[in-house]
Amino acid sequence: MNKTQNRRKFIQNGARLSLLLSLGTVSAAALRRVSGEDYVWQIDPFECTQCGRCATECVKKPSAVKCVHAYALCGYCDLCGGYLKPGAIARDTAAENQLCPTAAIERKFIEEPYFEYHIIEDLCIGCGKCVKGCTSFGNGSLHLQIIHDICDNCNECAIARVCPSDAIKRVKGSEAYKVKGDFTNKPKA
Amino acid sequence: MESKRIINFLIYTIAAISVISLLWWVNTDPTNEYKTSEPGADNRGKGLAAQEVKIGELFEQFSTGYTELSESWPRFRGADFDNISKSPVKLIEKFGSAGPKIVWSVEMGEGHSGAAIYKGLAYVLDYNEEKRADILRCFSLADGKEQWARGYKLNVKRNHGMSRTIPAVTEDYILTMGPMCHVMCLDRKTGNLLWGLDVAKEYESEVPLWYTGQCPLIDNNLAIIATGGKALMVAIDCATGQKVWETPNPNGWKMSHSSVIPFTFGGRKMFVYSPIGALVGIAADGPDAGKILWETTAWNHTVIAPSPVCMPDGKIFITAGYGSGSMMLQLKESGGKFSVEVLTEYLPKDGLSSEQQTPILWQGHLFGIMPKDGGTMRNQMICVNPADPKKPVWISGQENRFGLGPYFMADGKLFILNDDATLTIARPSTSGYIQLEQVKIIEDGHDAWAPFALANGYLLMRDSKKMVCIDLNL
Repeated sequence: MNKTQNRRKFIQNGARLSLLLSLGTVSAAALRRVSGEDYVWQIDPFECTQCGRCATECVKKPSAVKCVHAYALCGYCDLCGGYLKPGAIARDTAAENQLCPTAAIERKFIEEPYFEYHIIEDLCIGCGKCVKGCTSFGNGSLHLQIIHDICDNCNECAIARVCPSDAIKRVKGSEAYKVKGDFTNKPKA
Repeated sequence: MESKRIINFLIYTIAAISVISLLWWVNTDPTNEYKTSEPGADNRGKGLAAQEVKIGELFEQFSTGYTELSESWPRFRGADFDNISKSPVKLIEKFGSAGPKIVWSVEMGEGHSGAAIYKGLAYVLDYNEEKRADILRCFSLADGKEQWARGYKLNVKRNHGMSRTIPAVTEDYILTMGPMCHVMCLDRKTGNLLWGLDVAKEYESEVPLWYTGQCPLIDNNLAIIATGGKALMVAIDCATGQKVWETPNPNGWKMSHSSVIPFTFGGRKMFVYSPIGALVGIAADGPDAGKILWETTAWNHTVIAPSPVCMPDGKIFITAGYGSGSMMLQLKESGGKFSVEVLTEYLPKDGLSSEQQTPILWQGHLFGIMPKDGGTMRNQMICVNPADPKKPVWISGQENRFGLGPYFMADGKLFILNDDATLTIARPSTSGYIQLEQVKIIEDGHDAWAPFALANGYLLMRDSKKMVCIDLNL
């Protein structure tokens, strides 16, 4: 009897240990995925041509690509090419004047003549329309980035596969973001 | 009996559920969680508060000695408004291993104001960030020694720089227009104030976004200012400050960054101007001076910085940034009456367009640098025939892209300045882009957008914070 119980205990303990080991392995793998030495996908904002594929090709719906704002580079303009449609009837917050299809940019008056633009991440679909406007007519402070707490870090990024400018690359987890201002396309001296 | 009751119960239950579902479906707004985007959510302010400005109140004399020179670049786009120097002075086309010979340089307030040159003196309307003042600075062209400065206190906040414009200079007068539309007229020889005009205050004009880029004009000793607001354009006697004529503005067209360009066509001299709302030709002389000779509202964009390019056959090319594109018009005259017809209009990606600089007309062709929204041609220099500005004669190629900086011609060379103050020298040609030289002029240069000025082989150029004088003499 004791022998049987011992065998059962042995099997139970073995199963527990296997489960623990499996869990540990999965956790380690998950942690390893974002560790500094491993690689994640990211967009080089200086290579991006705002083609719109980030919104349509990502396996996440809505896309894991979002617009981010480098406030230090922003001109805080009243006429913002990233917020207003070209030829907008008025420089205000009316829907018909906004470039963003999901109203994901919030515009706030600071003081004459400055306005601040804030991205509402939950609404952003990563279409890059605002980035194109900001890049064409402004300082280029709006740019696209892959947000890693949303991204699945697929083995083969569905957007990278179709990116016409090869702007999406594997980067080290320790430098997972290429945010303008901190990151430049100028060669290091 | 029991089963019939059960069936009835089920039918009534299903019917009730269906009715409730229908009512729920009809009464539920699937967009009830949506937030409507309406005007005013940004809590826009009421505009900049008016400032009391004593135009010309500040003056400092630094030096009186300078080398008088023979040539001048007296205003925006030079003596002939074409951005082409007619000087016979031979200029270098390669800098060699020693690099460009920078004769002098001077720190400036952040901005894009360019210089005018008159017989050895250079004039720049700077913004002094410490004194919080618009200051006209006079330098000796040959050595950069500052001669005098005159200006007025004015609080201008940084908005893609502060200063914007180029003075107009004649033998007797200097005329400036500050970022917030303050006009100052000085005696050229002494720097003494003759008169001043607060255009925004007097004409209830709206200061253009990012401050005005309109370079003032002196024509036959008259200061010509496109005011917008209560009048469209005014002519003021430079000597007395008295108003000579005023163009009514019943349509309320606003001041743009574009400058007034004199043009003679069909036996009439006129001022061609692109306010926000139209393109107009205004009689420059005669008994009807100041009267609108022709106008078209077909050209109507929110932000217009380049000036009209007027051609001898009556074609007028106008372009603007921020997605506006360009338009080619044909001016016609018959029996003293003028009419204007739109020949073509197109988006920036479809042909010659420009955001800030005014294209150059040379040997019957237009030269310009495409804006960033110029599609595959973005940031490239482009040459077109005015007969078809949508069809490039040539473009400079993907490896030769530029920015919003200036370009002009002198001594058979085309000088182009990139945003980062890299100077390119090319050979003007109607058959292709021929680059001769390219060199960085200002280390860490930034937003080098002010137009060039050249006299006696001295080239004045600047980035947002520094002006340099380069000796280009061969």
